[in-house]
Amino acid sequence: MLAIRDLSVTVDGKQILNGLTLEVPPGEVHAIMGPNGSGKSTLAHVLAGRPGYEVTSGSVTYEGRDLFALAPEERARAGVFLGFQYPVEIPGVNNVYLLKAALNAQRKERGLPEVDAFEFLGMVREKMKLMQMEDSFLSRGVNEGFSGGEKKRNEILQMLVLEPKLAILDETDSGLDIDALKIVAAGVNSLRSPERSALVVTHYQRLLEYVVPDVVHVLVRGRIARSGDRTLALELERRGYDWVSAEAA
Amino acid sequence: MSTPLTARIVAQHASTVRALAPHLPGAARRSAAMEALAVTGLPGSRDENWKYANLRPLERASFTPAALTPPAAGADAALAAALPQRLEGFARYVFVDGVFAPALSDTPAAGPARLTTLAARADERAAPPTALVPRRELGADQRFALLNEAFATDGAAIDVGAGDEAARLELIFLASAEGQLGASYPRVELLLAPRGRLVLVERHVSSGAAASFVTSAVSAELGRGAALDHYRLQELSSRAILFDTLTATLAQEASYRLHALCSGAAAARSTLGVRLAGERASLALAAAALGDRQQVQDTYALVEHLAPHARTEETFRGISAGRARVAFNGKIVVAREAHGTDSRQSLRGLLAGPEAEIDVRPQLEIYTDDVRCSHGATAGKLDDNMLFYLLSRGLERDTAQRALKWAFLEDVIAKIGVAPLRRQIEERLAGRMQDGAALRELI
Repeated sequence: MLAIRDLSVTVDGKQILNGLTLEVPPGEVHAIMGPNGSGKSTLAHVLAGRPGYEVTSGSVTYEGRDLFALAPEERARAGVFLGFQYPVEIPGVNNVYLLKAALNAQRKERGLPEVDAFEFLGMVREKMKLMQMEDSFLSRGVNEGFSGGEKKRNEILQMLVLEPKLAILDETDSGLDIDALKIVAAGVNSLRSPERSALVVTHYQRLLEYVVPDVVHVLVRGRIARSGDRTLALELERRGYDWVSAEAA
Repeated sequence: MSTPLTARIVAQHASTVRALAPHLPGAARRSAAMEALAVTGLPGSRDENWKYANLRPLERASFTPAALTPPAAGADAALAAALPQRLEGFARYVFVDGVFAPALSDTPAAGPARLTTLAARADERAAPPTALVPRRELGADQRFALLNEAFATDGAAIDVGAGDEAARLELIFLASAEGQLGASYPRVELLLAPRGRLVLVERHVSSGAAASFVTSAVSAELGRGAALDHYRLQELSSRAILFDTLTATLAQEASYRLHALCSGAAAARSTLGVRLAGERASLALAAAALGDRQQVQDTYALVEHLAPHARTEETFRGISAGRARVAFNGKIVVAREAHGTDSRQSLRGLLAGPEAEIDVRPQLEIYTDDVRCSHGATAGKLDDNMLFYLLSRGLERDTAQRALKWAFLEDVIAKIGVAPLRRQIEERLAGRMQDGAALRELI
């Protein structure tokens, strides 16, 4: 699904990713953990195509294609989804417009006709139920005046509507209380299937109790310092990151 | 200030004043206005508050009113076709090249809002000469209002008595004459009695692609506790030239909601002067301007707080594309006696092209303590974070940019309280942004 080889990335001339290699096979959920400043969010943003990041070496293939040859919108239409750590507020563009425009852009890419308005609303409402969102969300501006938790749930709602093949969730758990965390996790889990993969970026292992990863990677100074199963996350919880950082140095 | 331009205006006025006389009362006021204008002259591009306006069309303009030339036979049908869709619940009055067109209008009816045409008032002879005289003590530049006063052929005088229900009127000023054949001088005089309420739609449109030269003047006087919702839509043809002046005075607790949307004309300048003369008067000014190709959209707004505890909320959103220039200069003056003033300004411009120009300028002059005045002004490109967010969801770059431009205007559009009017405006704006079909889903 996703193969990252020896990826190095700089931001404003500063080296953030430093020869990162990582493979995510279809059907697997991989967690990326690591201390602040280790490059977790940079990795998420580079994969989604955010401007401002310079790839100085390495390659990323997604389903056998060169990911960096695709514009951000092309990556999205090819099934890559980034759940933002800080979802952007866009007053004046309402949620239902964005959901529909996004879904139709993807369908167009696949040669499918535009979604039927009635069926679309039915489908969205069903997914909103899972995310415990009220109908009024639809007519509100994208993330406008949403609480932190509402924003994160809205990210997952978008993901459920778009059904990406590769979901990259950037600290989706930050700022969530336990109830919201469970809702978000239920949304993520509902998409798990042998064809889909997810890269879950998180600082704490709390989310991983609900979204159980197949592999946990620890990112230190821009490269994977250690990989393991979910028990690694528990060990990190207990011992902190220092010992991994020390080992990596 | 005798310039060749002023001399030409004086000469054209002298040769048309006899023809104008039968139409309107107030020959004395007319010549007083002309005399005043001969002294002040029209603004020039060196005037600080006029540097963004396009004044060049004045050099070749004909000031003689087009209305003096009788319309061609059968013109009404063509003109009727140029009128926008009717708004339910609104009485409609149409003026063609500044002259009332009864065939295209409702019959002025009795009610809390009484409309008389200025020409009809001439016949009444008893018409009060008050509102026509530009109040020179007003701070906003009155020179184009003087030009209107000197040449005006007709206009709407609207008197609104106290009432629980707001009267609803739509005034359409249709410009049909080519500029070289004559100018058009739309004129509105509003008088709201204490507790009078009015919803007024004032629309400037063109018949076809006429390159009309339009100088409009609107004055409004709001009595104690009066409420005016005023929607001004400037949708002239892309060849038309407009110089517009609006002055309003608000008494105690009067409320004025002014919505201005400028999307038409080759070059348009609007000079707004609002005086909050009574305690707790309030002004909500929401303006949007769209410029494309080589259009110039320039607005100067002067708001004067002259009494305690008055409020102003001023919002401007401008989008400039192509080689257009969009300018908004918002000045708020708080006089010594205006303690407890609360004013907010939010002026934002969006550059939608490498050669486009945006000038937004907030100015505050405060002569007292105990005021709350905030202002923010930005001019820039589309927000990169918002754009990336939409792209990351798969939207085409073009679609994402259009959606964000739309969202940018939404602060102003959403304030339009007349639903069918808002719809018409949204349709028109969506149409202007090319791929209207996709945007309509935002409506």
